[in-house]
Amino acid sequence: MIVVDNVTKYYEGRPVLENVSVEIPEGTNLGVIGPGGCGKSLLLKIICGLVKPDKGTVEIDGVDVHKLKPTELADLRFRIGMLFQNYALFDFMNVADNIAFPLRQAGETDEDEIGRRVQEMLDAIDLPNIGHQYGRELSGGMKKRVSFARAVIRRPPIIFYDDPTAGLDPVTSSKIFLLLRDIRDNYGTTSITISHDIEGIKEICDNFAMFERGRLVFHGTRAEIEETEIKIVRQFWDGFSDDELNV
Amino acid sequence: MAQLKTVIESPLSAIGDRFLQWSAEVGGMVVLIGQIFVRLNPFKLDGPETWRNMYRIGVKSFPIILVTALLTGAIMVIQSGTYIQQYGAYGLLGWGAGYSVLREVGPILIGLMFSGRVGANNTAELGTMKVTDQIDALRALAIDPLGYLVVPRFYAMILMMFLLVVVGDFTALLGGAVTSQYMLGVDMELFAWSIVTYIKLEDLFHGLFKSIAFGFAIAVISCHFGMSTSGGAVGVGRAVNASVVGSAIAIFVIDFIFTYTFL
Repeated sequence: MIVVDNVTKYYEGRPVLENVSVEIPEGTNLGVIGPGGCGKSLLLKIICGLVKPDKGTVEIDGVDVHKLKPTELADLRFRIGMLFQNYALFDFMNVADNIAFPLRQAGETDEDEIGRRVQEMLDAIDLPNIGHQYGRELSGGMKKRVSFARAVIRRPPIIFYDDPTAGLDPVTSSKIFLLLRDIRDNYGTTSITISHDIEGIKEICDNFAMFERGRLVFHGTRAEIEETEIKIVRQFWDGFSDDELNV
Repeated sequence: MAQLKTVIESPLSAIGDRFLQWSAEVGGMVVLIGQIFVRLNPFKLDGPETWRNMYRIGVKSFPIILVTALLTGAIMVIQSGTYIQQYGAYGLLGWGAGYSVLREVGPILIGLMFSGRVGANNTAELGTMKVTDQIDALRALAIDPLGYLVVPRFYAMILMMFLLVVVGDFTALLGGAVTSQYMLGVDMELFAWSIVTYIKLEDLFHGLFKSIAFGFAIAVISCHFGMSTSGGAVGVGRAVNASVVGSAIAIFVIDFIFTYTFL
């Protein structure tokens, strides 16, 4: 269970997240939506302890993430997988080593087993023959899929996906969403998925949260979001705008 | 009156602002040194990452250091050659070239080449990793970025700077010997005799100690500016610039302190 309680974060005196409170029960997937720059990615970084909030607390399974000692925080992070918005693949490693990295760092020494699991992931993301290539040789969509493979290969019980299908074609996007659903169903992972692909996350998330200018403007189930009268949430969910563009 | 106040205040505030920035950078470097030494206990070094850095820092710098050293030795001999021929003091040619190469010119020139090639590259690599979330990705995978990225580079840079100066010193003397033989007509054996007779072991050690200090400074400065990069590609450029300038200043300050203290 992840509990975010009243989290506020300022940058240069300006609030970029304001009094955010949200709960993610164990084994569920929270879909996070909202316009760019509204604080979604920052929230993920705060939850996994990469950024410290100015106010409020984050608890994972009853433990306050920001009060942990470095070694305890490292132990917690072994249970978390994270897919970054801009891939964050290690430039100095090839694709296979990038994907294998979390396994090796977790102490897995059987290279045959590592190789088998890496190939399994490469097959799952539809890129079976690129293990020897480097990140700079890949397209944005391919990097995203490799980054996804690295985030989930350790099968962590908690996974954060920051825009997992950005830059992907519709067919690959749907495959990735199916993978996300399989991971949740088979391993009971607790996850947060940030996405602008509303049709995709509708199918894989149990609850939804919408942010606007650093504030949580909606939090509820799919039925609730589909019934909500909050205009900005309706616009985002249904994909329309009342405002005309002045070109 | 208000105008006068502004005229007086703005340069003062600019100086104060710059002083605070410098203090923050120096403070950041001191903290980084502390963080590196904290990781000595228990001593844990990522083997593959250390080897990878030693290879790209040391082995890949080898050709450029050889060329620099060879030419430095030759230049030293040509420079002193005029006076040596004028006074007929051929037996002092090896000493003159060797003394300046081993104590001063060798470590300084190799240090500047090292900071330009290795330090700049190190800052750019760490800075790019920082602005593309790769450092955060390491932390998210429960890996200490300082232990994994900075500590191996720190040791690799100090060790490789030392070894490159050792190799560079001997290459420079070789370059000097060849130049003295073929350009000044001074026999290589006389050149070598002059070095062995007049150069003391402390002259060699003086330069080698400097190389360790230069390696230390370049490692700390380049890692500090890399790890504190922000602001995308422009920020990486700024960090590399600051790293190269900072390393060059550090090399000359350290050289001055060593020379003043141990001459």
